[in-house]
Amino acid sequence: MIDLNERYAEKKSFFNRLVVVYVFFGFVFSFFLYQTYSLQVSEYKDYETAAIANKTKEVLVQPVRGIIYDRSGKIIVNNVPTYDLIVKASLIKSIDAFLSDLSPIIELDSDELDYVRENFDLKARYNRELIVKKNLSKEEIAKFEVRGYKFPNAFIDVRYSRYNNYPELFSHAVGYVGGVNNDELASILNSQALPQIETIFKYSNGFQIGKTGLESTYDQILRGKYGKKIFEVDARGRFVEEREFIKPTNGENLFTTLDIEAQQVAYDQMDNRRGAVVAIEIDSGSIVSYVSTPSFSTNAISNGISSRAFNALIQDNDKPFFDRASQGRYSPASTIKPAIALFGIENNIVDWDFSMEDPGYFILPEDQRVYRGWREGGHGNVNLNKAMIVSSNTFFFSLAYKSDINKLIEHLSKFGFGKKVCADCFNPDKALLPTPEWKMNNLNFGWFKGDTVNLGVGQGYLSATPLQLAYYSTVLANKGTSKELSFIHEKQDIKNLNIQLNNTDDLDWKRLHQSMIGVIESPIGTAKRLQELKTYTVAAKSGTVELVSTDTKEDYKIIRENEGNRDHAIIIAFGPMPNPKYAVSVVIENGESGGSVAGPVAIEVLNSLIGK
Amino acid sequence: MKKKLMFKNFSIYFDQYLFISITLLSVMGLFFLYSASQGDLNTVIKQSIFVGFGLFLMFILSQPDPDFYKIFSSLFIVLAVVLMFATMIFGREVNGAKRWLNFGFFTLQTSEIIKIALPIFLASYLYNKPLPISLKHTFITLALICFVFYLVYSQPDLGTGLVVFMAGIYILFLAGLSWKFIFTSFGLLVLSMPFLWNNFLEPFQRQRILTFIDPSSDPFGSSWNITQSKIAIGSGGMSGKGYQEGSQAHLNFLPEAETDFIFAVIAEEFGFIGICVLLSFFFFILLRCIYLAFNARDRFCRLTIGGLSLVFASTLFINLGMVVGIIPVVGMPMPFISKGGSSLLSFYIAFGIIISMATHKKLMQK
Repeated sequence: MIDLNERYAEKKSFFNRLVVVYVFFGFVFSFFLYQTYSLQVSEYKDYETAAIANKTKEVLVQPVRGIIYDRSGKIIVNNVPTYDLIVKASLIKSIDAFLSDLSPIIELDSDELDYVRENFDLKARYNRELIVKKNLSKEEIAKFEVRGYKFPNAFIDVRYSRYNNYPELFSHAVGYVGGVNNDELASILNSQALPQIETIFKYSNGFQIGKTGLESTYDQILRGKYGKKIFEVDARGRFVEEREFIKPTNGENLFTTLDIEAQQVAYDQMDNRRGAVVAIEIDSGSIVSYVSTPSFSTNAISNGISSRAFNALIQDNDKPFFDRASQGRYSPASTIKPAIALFGIENNIVDWDFSMEDPGYFILPEDQRVYRGWREGGHGNVNLNKAMIVSSNTFFFSLAYKSDINKLIEHLSKFGFGKKVCADCFNPDKALLPTPEWKMNNLNFGWFKGDTVNLGVGQGYLSATPLQLAYYSTVLANKGTSKELSFIHEKQDIKNLNIQLNNTDDLDWKRLHQSMIGVIESPIGTAKRLQELKTYTVAAKSGTVELVSTDTKEDYKIIRENEGNRDHAIIIAFGPMPNPKYAVSVVIENGESGGSVAGPVAIEVLNSLIGK
Repeated sequence: MKKKLMFKNFSIYFDQYLFISITLLSVMGLFFLYSASQGDLNTVIKQSIFVGFGLFLMFILSQPDPDFYKIFSSLFIVLAVVLMFATMIFGREVNGAKRWLNFGFFTLQTSEIIKIALPIFLASYLYNKPLPISLKHTFITLALICFVFYLVYSQPDLGTGLVVFMAGIYILFLAGLSWKFIFTSFGLLVLSMPFLWNNFLEPFQRQRILTFIDPSSDPFGSSWNITQSKIAIGSGGMSGKGYQEGSQAHLNFLPEAETDFIFAVIAEEFGFIGICVLLSFFFFILLRCIYLAFNARDRFCRLTIGGLSLVFASTLFINLGMVVGIIPVVGMPMPFISKGGSSLLSFYIAFGIIISMATHKKLMQK
């Protein structure tokens, strides 16, 4: 028997203790409710965002790239559909069984089989599509269409490859596209305010970016805007369903000023010799022909090339990848003479009546050094007109000798030497217009008078790209007014680059043109062999770039045994005179004669342009 | 009100408040489980069989007189311990843990039995001991508690082990453990903390606790669960995303959505409002248990009701605390809601016994 007092005490103690426990639990409960409240109400926005980020995955969709046209509306670069066989990997139970079922319809080579087997598991796990075979042939497509019902989880999808209709003709002008690397993609996405995407999808979708030429310069316009597909994904990253598809905006087409026919003529004329041809429509400053040879196929580069073929291109001594037109540096040689003549007139050093005796050499008074002309015995009595026609070095040595070097440099730079002359060329080289400061900084020598004399005939340190020579030719043709060169007609931000000459009038320009016409038309002209190649009048100035300095013709015969020592052939020309429409420059490495080797190329290009 | 329905010769013992609230909670649980299992009807049907059987079991177990439990409590605990040993030997191993005993039609998690048997046995052992409990009885009790805890803990199942341990301690506390002893041992426990940390916790358990303290230390390991659970709850907002609309659960971001983390599913789909409604049921059940404990006929009944209801409350709070990220992940189901046979049935059994303790009155006071 328990007595009542004890029972009462026990009950009271139990009551107190139970209350203690419940009060404790009450606190825990309140704390717990508070935590839930703060998660669901106070921090709701953060967690809502986190939940959405968890379940959505965005995948970029590449727009179709713009088409590139020539100036008459013919397609240069297009997108051609290629057809790939794709499977929904997660729905296929056994890839080996699938492949053996497929083999009678579509054959896979061992590389393709390896690719499929290696990637199948990963794609299946994440519910991604797997490309089984790329570039299906028409027969393969037809076979699959007939028996495709056996493969409910496989389908054919179209992908666009970049296809240049003239793959070797425009390899440097238009350039090629290639796969996007991570940095490039990041910057593209950044510019479109799109989030970073998924790498698994990147390569199979074949994202492209312009790597060289116009494909690169106008990449942003050609590219268009990426679209995106928004998928709902589960915790393992499997695609559950497509939620949203923001369509890509296709790239804009590019209408260039390039002329397919002139380009073809220039390319054929070059006949795989090393060199470049650039032709300009004078009024607009637009580039109608832009060829660097030897060339390569852009289609092969854009859409896959075997590593052996690629290495052969890389190791080719003729450097087909090298864009000679905008990156090749050549001495302008005698083609500089019209600019020097204008300098003489502008600065009252010579006029059209001035004449002097040309014994075939010029002796620098300071150190008695002999500077030779190209013709032994010289050209007799020469005035400016004759000096241009026969390309008298003596005359121009002497003119340059009388020139102030700083003024001369400033004058030459107005013609585009040492400057960027093209608004949209891919990575153009400024070449070199040497100055005394440049020489001191780079060669640790002061400027000698002899350097100025050499400049008078375009030899020495001076160098120019064929593009700059074409620009120079345009400026000469247009009597000092010109626009920055461009591949696009009516490009908005094109600059007018007029030359200010104060002491040179229209008559001087006409006489200069006349002397350049004489280079071809005169019986003593250095390019007289070009007369019969055309039916209209062309002004020109040829040049022969000495790579190895020799004193006599016999010496040159010895060194020319090695092809690499032979002179470069160079010419600038414009026509039809007297109202020139097109200007052109041609450089042929080791071609030896400007007039008779580079000349015909220039004339044939002008023929194709003017003949229309 | 406790009800004693008279049918000619025999009485039916029944508490409508507990019965109705537990039934409603169970039905809600099935409803939530359907969503959490992503519409898997098999899971829900299996669960509803357990619920139906559980409710029946609860009703049956509330019929015997408390003396029946008092008398057979020693047998229960012995049986439970034997089952624990059997599990150790014949148990089915899952993920390195042996917790289940296979009976062919039903796999029993034996720690769920001992979770109930221990409080009842301790109540029957302590109900007639004078206040305050003497040191001798305290140590005997503690030894038993530690023994049972160790059995569960070594499976290993720290979560259930802790509940078992706490169940024992509640009874000891409610039965009148001396305050002096409580404060002394609490002081000793604090001092021995580092020793326990180094010697009694498995590396993965330590990792869980460390991760809990600093979630960024392990972004894709054990804190993944906590992070995803918080996102699920937080993104539910005030009113939730709607039934079966929870992306966290349905896209498998939430781990163990049907069992330990089902609360996060509910929070995601029904929001804070839904949570308040759900918890008010639990709250009501607990308040009802206090009332029943105070009105129980004797000390044994009081202790048993108090102990079992606190086991229920502890399980709930451990689960909730884990899901909202205020305690480490230990693996604890939500009573009456989470999928699972043994743990579900154990609470029907517990409440059946509670109702028996509360509804049987002695006509004459001794």
